[in-house]
Amino acid sequence: MEASSTQWKGRAVPLREDLRFSTGRGTYIDDMKFPDTLHVALLRSVHAHARIREVDISEALAMPGVVCGLTGEDAARMSEPLRSLIPIPVQLDAYCLAYGKVTHVGEPVAAILATSRYLAEDALEKIRVEYEPLPAAVDPEAAMEPDAPLLFESMGTNVMWQDRFDYGDVDEAFGRAARVLKKRFYIQRYSSTALETFGCTAVYDDRREQLTIWSNDQRPGQAMPIVAHSLGLTHSRIRFVTPDVGGGFGNKRKAHYLIIAALLSRLSGGKPVHYLEDRRENLMALIHACNGVMDLEAALDEDGHILGLKVRDIADEGANVLNPTVHSILKLGNLTNCYRIPVVRYEVNSVMTNKCPSGANRGIGKPFMCLAMERMMDHLGRELDMDPIELRRRNLVPPEAMPYTGPSGALIDSGDFAGTLDKLLPLIDYQEFLREQQEARAQGRYIGIGIAIGLEPSTSNASAYMLSSGRRSASGAAEAAMVRVEHDGSILVLLGDVGSGQGHETAAAQIVADELGVAMDGVRVSPFFDSLVTPWLYATGNYSNKFAGTDVGAILGAARKVRDKLLELAAYLLEEPLDNLELAEGCVRARNRHVHRKTLAELAFVAYRDLLSLPPDMEPGLEGRFYYRPDIANVPDENRRVRNQLFASNAAHGVIVEVDPGTGGVTILKYGVVHDCGTVLNPSIVEGLVQGATAHGIGAALFEEFDYDAEGNLKATTFVDYLKPTAVEIPDVRMDHLVTPSPYTPLGMKGVGEGGAIPAPAAICNAVENALAPLGCTFDHLPLTPERVWTEIEKARASK
Amino acid sequence: MKPPRFRYHTPRSLSEALDLLRESPGDARVLAGGQSLVPLLNLRLAYPDVLVDLNQVEGLSHIRDEGGRLSIGAMTRQREAEFSELLAQRCPLLIEALAQVGHPAIRNRGTIGGSLAHADPVAELPCVMTALDAELVATGPGGQRVIAAGEFFLAPYETALSPGEILVEVRVPSAPTAVAASFMEFSRRHGDFALAEAAAVLEGDGTLTGARVVAAGPAWTPSRLEQVEQLVAASGVGRTDSAAQRDLVEAAGRAAEDAVAALPSHADATPYQRRLAAVLVKRAVAQALERWSRH
Amino acid sequence: MESPLTDAPTDTRTISVTVNGTRWQGEVEVRKTLADFLREDGGFTGVHVGCEHGVCGACSVLMDGEVVRSCILFAVQADGHEITTVEGLGNEDELSPLQQAFVDHHALQCGFCTPGMLLAAVDLLKHCPDPSEAQVREALSGNLCMCTGYAGIIRAVRAAAPRMKG
Repeated sequence: MEASSTQWKGRAVPLREDLRFSTGRGTYIDDMKFPDTLHVALLRSVHAHARIREVDISEALAMPGVVCGLTGEDAARMSEPLRSLIPIPVQLDAYCLAYGKVTHVGEPVAAILATSRYLAEDALEKIRVEYEPLPAAVDPEAAMEPDAPLLFESMGTNVMWQDRFDYGDVDEAFGRAARVLKKRFYIQRYSSTALETFGCTAVYDDRREQLTIWSNDQRPGQAMPIVAHSLGLTHSRIRFVTPDVGGGFGNKRKAHYLIIAALLSRLSGGKPVHYLEDRRENLMALIHACNGVMDLEAALDEDGHILGLKVRDIADEGANVLNPTVHSILKLGNLTNCYRIPVVRYEVNSVMTNKCPSGANRGIGKPFMCLAMERMMDHLGRELDMDPIELRRRNLVPPEAMPYTGPSGALIDSGDFAGTLDKLLPLIDYQEFLREQQEARAQGRYIGIGIAIGLEPSTSNASAYMLSSGRRSASGAAEAAMVRVEHDGSILVLLGDVGSGQGHETAAAQIVADELGVAMDGVRVSPFFDSLVTPWLYATGNYSNKFAGTDVGAILGAARKVRDKLLELAAYLLEEPLDNLELAEGCVRARNRHVHRKTLAELAFVAYRDLLSLPPDMEPGLEGRFYYRPDIANVPDENRRVRNQLFASNAAHGVIVEVDPGTGGVTILKYGVVHDCGTVLNPSIVEGLVQGATAHGIGAALFEEFDYDAEGNLKATTFVDYLKPTAVEIPDVRMDHLVTPSPYTPLGMKGVGEGGAIPAPAAICNAVENALAPLGCTFDHLPLTPERVWTEIEKARASK
Repeated sequence: MKPPRFRYHTPRSLSEALDLLRESPGDARVLAGGQSLVPLLNLRLAYPDVLVDLNQVEGLSHIRDEGGRLSIGAMTRQREAEFSELLAQRCPLLIEALAQVGHPAIRNRGTIGGSLAHADPVAELPCVMTALDAELVATGPGGQRVIAAGEFFLAPYETALSPGEILVEVRVPSAPTAVAASFMEFSRRHGDFALAEAAAVLEGDGTLTGARVVAAGPAWTPSRLEQVEQLVAASGVGRTDSAAQRDLVEAAGRAAEDAVAALPSHADATPYQRRLAAVLVKRAVAQALERWSRH
Repeated sequence: MESPLTDAPTDTRTISVTVNGTRWQGEVEVRKTLADFLREDGGFTGVHVGCEHGVCGACSVLMDGEVVRSCILFAVQADGHEITTVEGLGNEDELSPLQQAFVDHHALQCGFCTPGMLLAAVDLLKHCPDPSEAQVREALSGNLCMCTGYAGIIRAVRAAAPRMKG
């Protein structure tokens, strides 16, 4: 058989979804209309930590338009506790509504169903809740102390997971070090805050025992089993549909809401029940990235080679009982970033506090790991009086060492890190900058440069959670797809991972068009996931940057099944040997005689209608389903080494900033990114994702923070207080690419969605420090607000 | 996030609006551009019983040259003022500040009077109207009265307007002696409410004879900084005397630090915000001088 | 705090609004936002609701040709006015030059901010037919995009500018 032609792959074809979205014709969750829909409003806790004495919704139920309501007590009676998304060390009973206790501000306490959201919110005001406030655990380090207030008394501690991984003889490496440096780093809580909030519509038809959920949940593969478990339904009685998803970034999932809507639908006699977070609810209670504290200790030899690393990490999980430890596990993938560091000690502390549950957010843990490591490299450079770029070069994993397995077992499948760095420096006019900086300093201006390189591991291997749970559960990575040549010869593609802005409809069509030798127009990729028809498994969903790692394999696998069948059928009908046939121009044709051909429509006619013309032993139909599982996923070995994510892209970021010492303001003058995600399927998609992810990193570096006061009250609950950068603050990123294909993915592609978000905070922090080097300012907290920058400048000036 | 119930009225005349305010039971609020009030309603942080919408009241939207002064109707949209040629000629400082009020979509609805009556301590218009020595005209059950901008803002979100009074007009005096002006603000993001801001209006002829200098942010209200004003007035600096101008900027910066520190500040004000306000005063003076010398 | 009027009868009005050239008449509760009215009563689901407190710009529409935020306007305030939503700019068969530029420059990802961006850009180009990059950035700074980092949007608006003239 011939190799696939590459007519569509690699081209910057315009995205077909862009046409739909730019005319306002997307169908998002709030656009789906069902007759007689009822609307949910949720009463949320005003306390960070309190016992619930009583919840009285009787007055609310008497309000105009109100149909029914739910309390935590009702939820505990009508449903089972939520099963955690990943196996966790301790199982805790949490229901879809707070029961007995609230553990963070914004936690849903009661639900009201009414004929409109306006009326439902009116009724919330009539609910009486009697709380007994408790002291709150807010600071993660304090929460680890034995006398700290406990979120879950049954645990006896707030420390969900504490562990130590000794990868190699770390003490030996530190013993022979010429120099050791220890630094502490912090990261704040922030979140990608998709512009569309999370929501769902549920129809629970009790008579037919059928529950249908429409939701913009980005991980239906996990949501389905949780909902089924809590409601005591078999999977076969649940249909799950996702519409267009207005951005996800990891945040968009919360099975609580799906269960609340389902229960209310059941109570209302099977009416469609719609719940959509408002922005305040979204910021208070969906998902924050963990804030954290990290102590990093590096041992170096005389020449600046890092001999060993000690990492002590505290991840503040908030009240996350569904998937704590995610942030800690994912750091295993970039624990040593792009560096050849032979031995590492990793001390993990996954701590519960009375804050919004943490969870997936663009990069999950990796931005903090990269922040600490890349900030450390600049500190080490100063310590050794060595150019930090040179220091990095000395420690990079060289291309000839690929594929490289790091001390934690993390696999770097491919990459040319020095090559990425080489391309970055001219991209940001590095030499010219050095001159400009001298001039600027002479004029009393503070401009600085920051470099950060970041490994971007993608495609999570679920078996890594055996490290925290100690037991075997889900393992590996996967996605599923279906390709079908329809009766008329048109082609339909269904993919488990429906995407949330990554251009899957276009990307999948490019792949399938090449595989089946048709024009892209002939391939439709459904923008919707529907569990009744879309093949899916537990791993199904839009997360961990996995399109390249699993989705492409599923699409290709399904397309090839159909392709093989088309060839086989055509060989029979045309009486040609199989190896003299090719797919091109919408036909199967003889290689040496193109007019000897069958169009896909002709073949489909036989496959679906003229069944007696089929080969006697051939099954009718032209449909391929494929569940793709990368074969390099493994389980932890006896030394607890594991490939926790499977394929590694990388990026080098360089940023030039100016700091205004009068205001503390930081202005980005120039931003450059060199990205390597292997083979590029569609350059428009890649460039869009890199630019967009970089903007997320800039937001985390300079603007965004979910700050809590000492009582556990969240200080940013609207977009007036939670500052997302605008078009004025985000620069046009200069971009260049390196293409180091992965040897392990079907097309050599690697993940691309996170590489901007991972190194950006470190690059910016390094740049601000470099700008203020004449004053000797250092920063260990983000975001670099004007006040924080100004305060450090004043401190530095006062001490001089 | 849906607003609570309220009763809603759309008077066509000012007297009708005043009657509605007087006769409405409970808490009646005036709705102008709604760019601050409606978010508060949606968040259920405000629960007025009655909204009296001024958007259909005749005669509240105009920008006129009234000889010695400019008259701006309270319901004039900020965007309309921003594009006004009359204001561009006669009061460029106002245009400069307006361009920094929120975003175009906000300014298309937001009104000059609404922003002043809302009295956010870091809004642009209160600061700049104080620097322009504007007069605010209120009409109420007791008739019309004129309040100097410097006496209009009492505290954050608190003005000299009595219950039942409506702000109807802003009068900006023509100051033939004003030679240059500048407005400076610093905010976290473009379009945000500022952390601090400053406005400077320089007066003189060939040499400086006076100034109005206002800082806002750390203080309860936008405040004139008399020490800085006196320093400028006493400087006698000439239009082309760049060395003296540099000295004046430095001196103004130092004086601004003391002057800002002496202002009664609100509970959230930080040392940073106070210093920032002083820095912006210095920069506003510097920019105004620079504009003057470029004439 | 609690609304003093929660138990009071609903205050409603009959309003008439021209949306994308077609007149709509309907009875609305006075507290209903224009965004909710357009979406629920009119079916104009291209009006996206992202924050409901006037910050994100997703719900932007044109009112009498000027961009406004429909989440902080009451529907009753649009009585007698002309509204343009993204659906009124063009359709898939006949894109406006701005929409075409958004497709050409991949100026969107999830598409949720796109309608508001387009309408803010229409307002900009009306006042400023040949904007600089800085002017585009400033004019669109009231519209948040969480996906793209804005670069494609800025390029698209500048590319469309010459084609939007006249």
